Amino acid sequence: MTDPYEVLNVPSTATDEAVKKAYRELARKYHPDNYHDNPLADLAQEKMKEINAAYDAIQKERSGRSAGGYAQQQSYGGYQQQQQKAGADPAFQRVRMAINRNDLGMAEQLLGQIGDHCGEWNYLMGTICYRRGWVDEARRYFQTACQMDPGDPEYRQTLNYVENNREGYRPEGYEVFTSSCGGNNLCARMACFYAVCMGFNTCGMRMFCC
Amino acid sequence: MFGYVRPSAARLTEEDMDRFGAAYCGLCRTMGRRHGQAARFVLNYDFAFLSLLLWPEEEGEPLHRGCMAHPLAGRDYFPENPALALAADQGMILAWWQVQDALADPGRGKGKYRAAAAALGGAYRRARACRPAFDRTTRLHLERLRTLEEAGCPTLDEPADAFARLLAGAAGEVEQPVKRRVLEQLLYHLGRWIYLVDAADDLAKDFASGSYNPLIRRYGLERGALTEEAREGLAVSLDHSIRLMAAAYELWDFGVWSPIIRATVYEGLFLVGKAVLDGTFQAGAPAFHAARRNKEKL
Repeated sequence: MTDPYEVLNVPSTATDEAVKKAYRELARKYHPDNYHDNPLADLAQEKMKEINAAYDAIQKERSGRSAGGYAQQQSYGGYQQQQQKAGADPAFQRVRMAINRNDLGMAEQLLGQIGDHCGEWNYLMGTICYRRGWVDEARRYFQTACQMDPGDPEYRQTLNYVENNREGYRPEGYEVFTSSCGGNNLCARMACFYAVCMGFNTCGMRMFCC
Repeated sequence: MFGYVRPSAARLTEEDMDRFGAAYCGLCRTMGRRHGQAARFVLNYDFAFLSLLLWPEEEGEPLHRGCMAHPLAGRDYFPENPALALAADQGMILAWWQVQDALADPGRGKGKYRAAAAALGGAYRRARACRPAFDRTTRLHLERLRTLEEAGCPTLDEPADAFARLLAGAAGEVEQPVKRRVLEQLLYHLGRWIYLVDAADDLAKDFASGSYNPLIRRYGLERGALTEEAREGLAVSLDHSIRLMAAAYELWDFGVWSPIIRATVYEGLFLVGKAVLDGTFQAGAPAFHAARRNKEKL
């Protein structure tokens, strides 16, 4: 097994507090929120497992018992799974299934065969764009979905997430953004909390949200 | 490639700056050796950054010698390795097609591009012979980009995707599967970011000449400057791509080059994007290059 201290990048003489700090920093870096709808989520998940195992091993070695704590609270969602909507058109359900398989080409092709560009159509098109990293197009489709179906909480939560969750992981002390608003304001934090912790439900380690 | 990709000088130690300088000089020499002296004039820090991403695990030892630009004092440089050779070939191919693209653009003057095409023809043919697959995909993506531009594509993401795919193709020859995946994602978003930053930088010029610019079409601009809404929307796209680059960077150990890449994806790109949007960006050598030159004078 890899040396757990090497994984956490601390010397074996590090204090418990220093080990915990290093672990928290790495957990923040590889947190599912940073790899939400990201094609590299599986690699981040592997990293997270390695970090958890290392932290657990150090805790065991130092206390003679299992760590519990953060390591056992991890739950890495990777890609957001598109939930099937009750009573939804089967054609849209097939699109959601293709998105879940990450077969974006097929999902787009299936959407192309649907003539009714309703809220669901726009929402799913936005989801395809977002997974490709096309954030501008994704926003436009999500906005249209919200305008067409203003009462749909899934569309609203997703739009909030896309518009406000701009910060991601930054090492301590790095605070420059392209524009003056880096998504670090209260509004963004609240939207992030609502969309990520309550809407997408991908983060097991909620204490690191926002 | 346009010289926008720069680490934040404030985050680099003197040792980092020297090492990056040695990589830059190594790439310059490699371009000259592989493709002739004319090829050295297309070199910029974007290509040097590409070579760091492709660098093999062994760092190698820099050598010291005089060159055309520094005949007496000389410079430290890394001797040719597979990463420098790959970056030199790909950089030459990208520069060539950039010149061809400019020649095909009715809104641009042709004089300097015709001269560049004449000077670089031999260098391009040598690079193409070394990397035929990269040349082929580059040409295909640029053709798609030109088709979108000629059709007046009203979105940001479609033309940015064409340029992003082109740059992601630079990872195609990386042998380790995980590193290849990481670099494809990182370079894809770097390509998106470069395309969009360049569009913002050229906005006034393109508006005046009537050339295609995705920002004019996307935001319906009525003058050669971004409105507040357009600026904010573009910043969201730029920051999103940088964020995805940083997330990819964290999934591979880039060894001694990590501080430089970190200073680029966590600060340098934001600073350049901000300067371009503010209209204060200055092309040319980045700040740390000047710092290195000043150190030599002392």
